[in-house]
Amino acid sequence: MRSNGLARASVRFRPASFAGTFLALLFASIVVTACGLLLQAGVTASLGPVRYAGVPVVVTADQNATVVRGHGEDTERESEPLPDAARVDASLARTIAARPGVAAAVPDLAFPVQAAVPEQAAFRPQAAFPPRAAASLPGRNWSGARITSRLVQGGGPAAGQVVVEAATARAARLRVGDAIALTTPRGTRTYRVAGIAAGGGPGIWFSDAEAAALSGHQGQADAIAVFARSGVGVEQLESQVRAAVGGGAKIYTGAGRGTAEHRDLADARDLLTGLGGSFGGIATMVAVFVVLGTVALAIGQRAREIALLRAVGATPRQIRRMVATEAMIVAPIAGGVGVLPGTALATWWFDQLKHRGALPSGLHLTVGWVPPLCAVGAGLLAALAGGWAAARRPAKARPSQALGEAAVERTRPGIARTILGVGALAGALVVAQVAAGASGDQAAEAALGVVMLFMVAVAFLGPLVAAGASVLLGLPMRTAGAPGRLAAANTRVNARRLASAVTPIVLVVTFAGTLLFTQSTMRHAAAAEARDGVVADQVVSSAGPGIPYDTARRAAAVPGVRAAIGVVRTGVLYHGSDVFSDASAIGVSGDPAALPTVLDLGVVRGEVAALRPGTVALDSMVAAAAHVTVGRPIELRLGDGAKIRATVVATYRRGLGVGQVLLPHETVAGHVSAELDGQILIHDAPGADGGAVRRALSGLAPSLVVTDRRGYAAQIDRDAEVNAWVNNVMVAVLGGFAAIAAANTLVMTVLDRRREVALLRLAGTTRRQVLSMMRWEALLVTTAGLLLGAAILAVTLSPFARGTTGGAPYVPPVTALVMGVAIVAGGLAVTALPARALLRTPPATAAAARE
Amino acid sequence: MGAPTSRAAVELHGVRRTYGRGDSAVHALRGIDMALPKGTFTALMGPSGSGKSTFLQCAAGLDRPTAGSVFLGDTEITRLSERRLTELRRSRVGFVFQSFNLLPSLTVLQNVQLPQRLAGGRPDRRQAMELLARVGLADQARRRPGQLSGGQQQRVAIARALITEPEVIFADEPTGALDTGTAHEVLRLLRQAVDRFGGTVVMVTHDPVAASYADRVLFLADGALAGELYRPDPSAVADHLVALTSGREAAA
Repeated sequence: MRSNGLARASVRFRPASFAGTFLALLFASIVVTACGLLLQAGVTASLGPVRYAGVPVVVTADQNATVVRGHGEDTERESEPLPDAARVDASLARTIAARPGVAAAVPDLAFPVQAAVPEQAAFRPQAAFPPRAAASLPGRNWSGARITSRLVQGGGPAAGQVVVEAATARAARLRVGDAIALTTPRGTRTYRVAGIAAGGGPGIWFSDAEAAALSGHQGQADAIAVFARSGVGVEQLESQVRAAVGGGAKIYTGAGRGTAEHRDLADARDLLTGLGGSFGGIATMVAVFVVLGTVALAIGQRAREIALLRAVGATPRQIRRMVATEAMIVAPIAGGVGVLPGTALATWWFDQLKHRGALPSGLHLTVGWVPPLCAVGAGLLAALAGGWAAARRPAKARPSQALGEAAVERTRPGIARTILGVGALAGALVVAQVAAGASGDQAAEAALGVVMLFMVAVAFLGPLVAAGASVLLGLPMRTAGAPGRLAAANTRVNARRLASAVTPIVLVVTFAGTLLFTQSTMRHAAAAEARDGVVADQVVSSAGPGIPYDTARRAAAVPGVRAAIGVVRTGVLYHGSDVFSDASAIGVSGDPAALPTVLDLGVVRGEVAALRPGTVALDSMVAAAAHVTVGRPIELRLGDGAKIRATVVATYRRGLGVGQVLLPHETVAGHVSAELDGQILIHDAPGADGGAVRRALSGLAPSLVVTDRRGYAAQIDRDAEVNAWVNNVMVAVLGGFAAIAAANTLVMTVLDRRREVALLRLAGTTRRQVLSMMRWEALLVTTAGLLLGAAILAVTLSPFARGTTGGAPYVPPVTALVMGVAIVAGGLAVTALPARALLRTPPATAAAARE
Repeated sequence: MGAPTSRAAVELHGVRRTYGRGDSAVHALRGIDMALPKGTFTALMGPSGSGKSTFLQCAAGLDRPTAGSVFLGDTEITRLSERRLTELRRSRVGFVFQSFNLLPSLTVLQNVQLPQRLAGGRPDRRQAMELLARVGLADQARRRPGQLSGGQQQRVAIARALITEPEVIFADEPTGALDTGTAHEVLRLLRQAVDRFGGTVVMVTHDPVAASYADRVLFLADGALAGELYRPDPSAVADHLVALTSGREAAA
């Protein structure tokens, strides 16, 4: 069939009537493009080797925990990234070095070293380290120096000696033979500078034996760098290394060495694919949803035109073709225009994440053509589908029916529509209950999925819901004079139009609300638990990378200190709702009996004081997810993947704020990357002078900061800051998009009422009364949207809160108030502006105008 | 149910049209039998709610009767699929409505050519221009409907109804929104379509003067035929209408 040019003519002649559709498609394209680019960046994220650029083959441990489930052919491998880094057996270096093609196999290990002010500072006042260098330097083993560096002065380090990198030495005015005080995980002591090395960036080298001891990872290495004999190719070397290593470790060559080197790359990939994939998926669904709704509204507003075409001989097929062609004209243009701002949004987001330290600084966003193409394609498909669905009824209807129906809406939704709507509603309720079993981020994502199902239900049942809302909310409005009565009557009769306007408002409320309030619920619960859970009199933290383990023991000996508990933070994996669920964990040193004097964990069952090596205390929700109770054993993977079995001695409530898994320090030590305590919790002796104790404590090690118990909560908040920021951007993007869609829809519905407004004015309604009527309608629309959204939020967030915090959802009153006021004010504004525009046309002209 | 007589352009046999079901059902047509001969101009009159518009829509294939059959020439349109019906409407029937009758996005010429375009054929520009000249709008071909007066728009609609050289033209209150002078222009064009070009016109109207342009006036009341007048003059038509209306009031 040939094109009949109808579509082109309508788009060209009345671009205004496509403006709404165009706008919806444009913003859909922006959001989808941005998320798609982030997803692509996550999938393709790679960093070239820097440190290992001169090393042909690098061997590391597998950074995933893996289990094989099932038997025979049904085996299934499940793996999960480890909470911390796994290390490889250092003795493997000797095995590898024995292979014929290997020139050398060098264990590489790094640990945080804090350089204190050099002892000679008194004589050379300007000799302080620059602040950055003072914060933390990587300490390394001398044999690993050949990976990046060479000695330029002096000799290699013996015990008690170090080699300093040239630029670092220059900045600190260090020379061979100088003394330098260094704080390592094993404490602070003075070292003699034996030599200066160049290359590889800031760093300090210790003798191999000393480095192994100081790092706390005796017999282990972060990686093994393998050098080839001359004439041995990379492939040959790799196969020799593989033969030596067996299946026990990962072997990297070429660009893959970047993965071994940049441990934060996996997190970056996770973050980006999470943003682009999970959030992007939801955003895409919302975008499709908005486009479907907008196109349907635009087609619905042209019911008369379509009926006329049918009367003069257009077949249903031709109508559908016309609508499809219109979509084909508008969608690619709108989608194409949205690609640029979408790319800008992705770039901004990416740079901000990098700026906030959530992405490695070497990572760059590459703009591929696939995400924009997908965005344009998705917009086109959504517009086609929306047009097809919306044109189905007017295209099929008998022309006479259509000509009549345009005047008075049919309010009764079809049977299929009702069944689908009720199905989606039931699905949402069921999934909401199931999602209560998920934890953390998963639960938050599940909540978004539940909201999506509710939105589908709202879309299907919209007219029904709107009719109900108009009856309910219309009652009080009828007491508000003629404009109120008119508004009530209008909304009751035009349920479909009301539904079109209410749906996007529900969209704003539910999506922004879910993102904001899942976060606020978690943070509020964590903050409250930390506040109630930490009962220590003083909290010792470090301005540097952490506190050496022995500091806690020394703190306990400070006069006026009754108990000092060192806390090391890490994560564990356990078999919970997923094969591997992760949980935050803390290792506590000191006397377990004193634990309750610094941490009130809200013990449910058992005794925290009974914590010994081989035992564990669990947050009761972790215990429930893992199906263990007090007295039963649980299998855990520590930060580096080490498998342990521990008997549960207690369950407690305040895991979110303090730590979900409580382990003895001895169990955790040796299995974290930085063998340092995060904090020391102090219980003062009765009658002790707090100020004196504080001064004594801060002198125990360099850069210690002593605060009251709130210092613990602040630490947790800093960890959550990037998360919160990411979340807020998601709220802005999704909520903003939904808000634009809502405004767009409201403007469309108001502008469609040109004739009605003109007739009202001809019948003697004043401008003021028309505007008042519109205001009442806007009030009804926004109130209905807010109420419906709030109801959906309540049903979605309650199981979420039960599953993650064990309590009720926390909705910050100010945020909720601002959201409500903004929506009502916004609704009134976007109704008033087009209404005023309508009133500018003389009523007689508008009433006589042919549609 | 008789076979169609070849002289009739439109024939209705026992046509009923009911809206809704059960107690709330509205019987718009209660069984109509009639034949409209070729080359005649028939006006259809009756009080509001008498079923005029329903009659027109059923006769024209815009609506389907609940019972009975409608023949257009030799074709029983009540048996056709929606698609075939649309094609038949496109090629053998023309429409003129009271309003909402032109597509604002198309020019006057394009509006006239619309049925041909929808039929998938190549629009005949010469024929369309001839028709526009016949309705006195040859110089307005490139304008949009919004730029024309009501009477001019209705003349464009007549030109569009004539472009396919239809067997029957159905007009629903074509002069309802026009003043007396422009109404006369429109009615003269319809009359001309019958007298000079041998077409058949069926027109629903309220206006006795408009009805007087017809060869025959059929009166409808409560969904049934209630009399007819041949070679009507406006006063006779008005009298008949008044009788119908007051009769109904008396019955009620």
